[in-house]
Amino acid sequence: MTIPRKFPKITIDQEKCTVPFLCKKCLQICPMLVFRVERVMAREERLKEMDPRIDGNYSLSAPRRDKCTVCNKCIEVCPVDAIKIEVA
Amino acid sequence: MCYLCDEYGEGDVWYLNPKNYARNMYRLRAPGTGFRGADAGLETGERAGPTLEDLLQAIENGQQAEIDRIKREMEEATRKRGMGGQVVPLKDADRMLELSSPIGLIACICRKDWRAIDERSESEYTCMGMGVGMLKWERWPERYKGGVKFVNVEEAQEWNHKMDKRGFVHLLMLFGAPFIGGFCQCDYPDCLYIRNAVDFGYGLLKGHHVATVNYDICNGCGLCIQRCQFGALKLEVTNKKANIDQFACYGCGLCETGCNRGAISLLERKNIPALAEVWT
Repeated sequence: MTIPRKFPKITIDQEKCTVPFLCKKCLQICPMLVFRVERVMAREERLKEMDPRIDGNYSLSAPRRDKCTVCNKCIEVCPVDAIKIEVA
Repeated sequence: MCYLCDEYGEGDVWYLNPKNYARNMYRLRAPGTGFRGADAGLETGERAGPTLEDLLQAIENGQQAEIDRIKREMEEATRKRGMGGQVVPLKDADRMLELSSPIGLIACICRKDWRAIDERSESEYTCMGMGVGMLKWERWPERYKGGVKFVNVEEAQEWNHKMDKRGFVHLLMLFGAPFIGGFCQCDYPDCLYIRNAVDFGYGLLKGHHVATVNYDICNGCGLCIQRCQFGALKLEVTNKKANIDQFACYGCGLCETGCNRGAISLLERKNIPALAEVWT
């Protein structure tokens, strides 16, 4: 039986966060591994090598928000203020 | 019997059945759709069904029936795509490596996704690809960014022993069941499979062994405790010995290989009545 609990809502401003694989500050500071970085790829592009320095080639998400303790380390470390956490 | 042995073991453990490493098994993984030139590959199958976010929302809303349904669907989707894997102890891994060819060391995809770790040199690789699929690695320049280092069986075993010493769990991965295509070195929480298994209970099979402590030999040094990635091992303060929760144990054997005194041994899961069918 899983005990119901409201998880924090994490929003990432994709317009501000453009090169997450190069920056990787939040990904490496998060104690609970909430964030994930994935390549952005159209179907026909799936075999292409992606350059992490080019804007929008990788995108950041927070799939494991259930693990977020709202320690706010990611917010402090983000150089472009792209992360917002709402406590439910 | 785990479902992989049931379907592909032919009386033995599935990963010790040489057939599952055979070249022609690679073809079988995506009949009809998988072989369209450069399009063929692991990413041919589109993801469908519930997402992790759906599961989180069901947990938030306390909908137990919905949680169970999503987990079941995720498990089914994994099996349908011929993906999934099982924990393999070091001794079995040595035997398994003797059956596979070619073997290539590669960069770990989970560490790349979750920690943005870019393994770009041969000395950094923490993952292994096996079988004829590896010969086509240049088709996926994004996946194999750091290249591939092909090794022979002895080098692969030596590498695996080194990883074991570092404290990584060994996972054998299917790439289009029953074809065995990957051998990962994993830890919690960086490995997606281990994390899904430990946190939510789907996607990964426990191994064919369960660890047990010999209290006469254990001196309570605690070396094994830091090696358990599944939260199954702790120091029992009362008697100052290692204590293993065998229902939580995945049978990776890291505690066994980490014990200087040989106080921990691996038992066969099938010989323990209450654990014989505990796979998740």
